[in-house]
Amino acid sequence: MSWSDPARRFEPAEDVELRAELRDLLGLGPVTASRVEEPTAELNALADDLRREAQRRSRTQRKRPTWGLLAAAALPLLATLAGLGTWGFHQKERADGLAAQAQRQEQELTRLASTHASEVAKERQAKEEIKQQLQLASRKGGRKTEPYLVIPVEKPLKVGGEDYQRVKQPPQQ
Amino acid sequence: MAQSPQDTPFGTQEAFHTAFAELYPRLVSYARRYGATFPEDIAQEAFVILMQREERVEHPTAFLYGTVRTLSLTERRPMKNQNISLEAVAEPGLAGGADDLVLNQEVRERMRLLSPTFREALWLFVVEGLSIREIAEILSIPEATVKTRIHRAKAQLKDQLNPTGGVHVLV
Repeated sequence: MSWSDPARRFEPAEDVELRAELRDLLGLGPVTASRVEEPTAELNALADDLRREAQRRSRTQRKRPTWGLLAAAALPLLATLAGLGTWGFHQKERADGLAAQAQRQEQELTRLASTHASEVAKERQAKEEIKQQLQLASRKGGRKTEPYLVIPVEKPLKVGGEDYQRVKQPPQQ
Repeated sequence: MAQSPQDTPFGTQEAFHTAFAELYPRLVSYARRYGATFPEDIAQEAFVILMQREERVEHPTAFLYGTVRTLSLTERRPMKNQNISLEAVAEPGLAGGADDLVLNQEVRERMRLLSPTFREALWLFVVEGLSIREIAEILSIPEATVKTRIHRAKAQLKDQLNPTGGVHVLV
């Protein structure tokens, strides 16, 4: 049976019919087994040569690397990556520690600054209060309780007759 | 599944010799249709590649045709050959010799008038006698696409026979 025989390929009947119809349209006629070529000694020798060549190539060609070889090849890379990862992790830890320390120092400085500011404010307030008290005290101490000027004079206890002089009025003209 | 050293892609040694005797001239002709400079070398290389495979090939004939097609296109257009159809690269002088082995002048003319894409599927289906599945493997397209191309080729062939679209009348 020929390799091109449709029955050998288990083709559906519709495909076989379609091929026959197309052959008819092209004017090729029905499929016949007349074109089947018998293997000659020359062709057999060529086929065997090609087979030997395929076997030789299969023996000599570089095999695909197995998973073990791939793993072995990737081991240095993995070790390098692991080392870099560890170093990076340590660096990150160190950077985090330094950052936390810097933050703590900044918080301490902020706290000290706020304490200082509050103390200064308190001191300023106390100073202001003292100043106000001093001003008030100086006001109280500098003037009399009366709001007008009093000049103390020695007055006689009672007015005597001789103490005054009636003055005539000047004559009218 | 790997094949033993004694087995061939076509079964026993005798079956391989028979298949080789039948397929080799066709593969040489197929490579020549693509304008290959050394079609015999390409056909032999395809057999070597097939037998070199460790995994068993389900459709060795389709594999051989596909390999010949790829090698022929690679030989001719090393850089941009992936989407070129059969007749797009075959020069008339080179392809004509291959056609003469199988087809007469009238059939060649009908094939030439077809669209290159449809002509390739039609050639593999009708002249090479490959199944739809094998053609799909060779051209790396779905089977439905192969069927579509073949049916459109059939429609074009009918149009050639009846260009006016009228009804044939026997006088």
